Amino acid sequence: MKTIRRRLSKAARTSRPNSEGGLSELAEHLSLQENGGITQNAGIQRIGFLARATRRLSLSTTRITEVAGVVQEHPRIGSDGESEETSGASDEVISPAVRFRPKNHRISRQDINKRLSLPVDLRLPESFVAKQSASPNIDGPLSRTVRRQSLSEIGFGKTETYTKLDKLGEGTYATVYKGKSRLTENLVALKEIRLEHEEGAPCTAIREVSLLKELKHNNIVTLHDIVHTEKSLTLVFEYLEKDLKQYMDDCGNILSMNNVKLFLFQLLRGLAYCHRRRILHRDLKPQNLLINDRGELKLADFGLARAKSVPTKTYSNEVVTLWYRPPDVLLGSTEYTTSIDLWGVGCIFFEMASGRPLFPGSTVEDELHLIFRTLGTPTEETWPGLTHIEEFQNFKFPKYELEPLVNRVPRLDCEGLDLLTKFLKYNPKIRVSAVEAMRHSYFESLGPGIHKLPNTTSIFTLPGIQLSRDLGSKTVPFLSSSRNRRQSMLL
Amino acid sequence: MASLSSNWVRNDSSPRVVDFKAVRCIFESGIKLEAKPQAVAMAATLYHRFFEECNPEDYDHYLIAATCLYLAGKVEENHLKIRDIVNVFHKAIHPKLEPLDLAEEYWLLRDSIVQCELLLLRVLKFQVSVDHPHRYLLHYLKSVQDWMAPDIIAKLPLFRTCWSLLCDFYHLPSCLCYKPQHVAVAIIYLALECYGVTVPYNSDAVLQWHEVNIYVFYHNFISM
Repeated sequence: MKTIRRRLSKAARTSRPNSEGGLSELAEHLSLQENGGITQNAGIQRIGFLARATRRLSLSTTRITEVAGVVQEHPRIGSDGESEETSGASDEVISPAVRFRPKNHRISRQDINKRLSLPVDLRLPESFVAKQSASPNIDGPLSRTVRRQSLSEIGFGKTETYTKLDKLGEGTYATVYKGKSRLTENLVALKEIRLEHEEGAPCTAIREVSLLKELKHNNIVTLHDIVHTEKSLTLVFEYLEKDLKQYMDDCGNILSMNNVKLFLFQLLRGLAYCHRRRILHRDLKPQNLLINDRGELKLADFGLARAKSVPTKTYSNEVVTLWYRPPDVLLGSTEYTTSIDLWGVGCIFFEMASGRPLFPGSTVEDELHLIFRTLGTPTEETWPGLTHIEEFQNFKFPKYELEPLVNRVPRLDCEGLDLLTKFLKYNPKIRVSAVEAMRHSYFESLGPGIHKLPNTTSIFTLPGIQLSRDLGSKTVPFLSSSRNRRQSMLL
Repeated sequence: MASLSSNWVRNDSSPRVVDFKAVRCIFESGIKLEAKPQAVAMAATLYHRFFEECNPEDYDHYLIAATCLYLAGKVEENHLKIRDIVNVFHKAIHPKLEPLDLAEEYWLLRDSIVQCELLLLRVLKFQVSVDHPHRYLLHYLKSVQDWMAPDIIAKLPLFRTCWSLLCDFYHLPSCLCYKPQHVAVAIIYLALECYGVTVPYNSDAVLQWHEVNIYVFYHNFISM
């Protein structure tokens, strides 16, 4: 302790730069030695720095897999075993491929599924089952490496496991295909990210994957697998038929009010889960909300989302699509919290109920104009601190009066209108939170059970909760409008 | 001279020293590139996590370090240019050499980092979001500051010492073992202890973490 104390006080007295700190002397010592060594061996070392790297890395990707021993894991199969999708349905339902269990085999597919914590609807390849049965060592605990190897042998993380069907859309760095998994025969969405970029893997993709791996919720799109090849990185998502935008288009922009409520609740449910884990979505819009034929709504496209690390964090200003962007962000605020997502929820709520976007502005100024014309130009009273925002002074907005929202959404009842105004508060501090909104009286008709569901359970498992038939939801084939779809998944 | 270098090579083989030097490189480059502290801390964390999974002898530690800083920049929304990373690392590792020409070596290094980034992501299973102790440290320090007599606070460079201790803590893999909150508390405790200052607080509630973490700190400082 004495030595440290002495060293520290010395460091403090000589006021070195922060990061040098108590170790600076030692470090200097080291770098002295280093200099001595390096000047002489410079050439060799330099080549070492490079040659070793290139030797390692120019190898094919399969080699890398071997070196690192990595297979991307199925996100539902946490190695901790915390959230397996073990539906009540048991062995019998497993898979059509199971014909009978040879008696001489000591281990069955069920055992393997259980041992590797795989979902029950998975079809294990014959060769893999045979190999597992032949292996003598099945009773001991499963090591991480062995598990990874097994997963790889089953087919996770491999291109050939997924068949590409139709192209759903294309963006600057990614292409989205509809596909089929040979393991489960389920449809999947394949988001193929090209890796030709000079700057390596796109950071939106990195963030999206790292966040989605943490998020396991019925109202958030599931990332099933990641396939890494030399040229691309493919994210395998669960497949959902439509996004909310298309859903609204297909039913002529008239949703049943029951469905509006169900979609809004599911949106809030997914969002509350994200916010609880301090993750903001930052890019909510109808194109990012996917809906399947059961009516389950799931948040997708977490490319702009990020784990919120500090309450007063500055983010880059340009994040939310203009129409769904809150006025505080439009006016240049970079210190926002979960409230940023809730404004967007309000806009989407309005759009579902009325069939029209609430504030379809084309520029920042236009967007603000539209907002102020409907909600009234804010004052220091409705938005404390407003007069200190320079941008607001610069724009010199006229004084608009509040226009009653009911004129624009006549279909919405009193409770719905009350909730809508709570989303559309100027002051981010008093904007309703996702959890509070779920408790609003607007959702009372859904029953109390809706708040007690486990995270991975769908709201449609509750009796009495049913999707109403919207025009076009069944009659129009899903593929009819597949041209311009899923643009949102592409950035 | 020759003996010095061979001596050095022997030292170099200790993984601890290599780790220390590589992480120092990360910090040095991070400061030169004006990266956010969280990004640098993230880079160090990624570095240690990588070598927790992989055999240290299989990889070039400096390449991994450079890649970690690059990836950390992407994860922490503090994008660093790959060109700058290559140049700054080159300078940090070879202070006596001229900057790299825009020639084959430069392009190879660049490609290596891009490839290595994908390797890193796969080894870490794409799990690259980390809760850093920095914000906890700042919050806790604020509380401690309000707690103590103003003249003591004015006299001691407490904030700076804590910050330095935190940076130093990232030089060894033990930084992966503790919760960010515990690290933050332990650092404040250690700093106060070093200056021989006591805070009028109830230490019972936090004693356990201190004991564990302080042991690590002793270990870090005294052995290095």
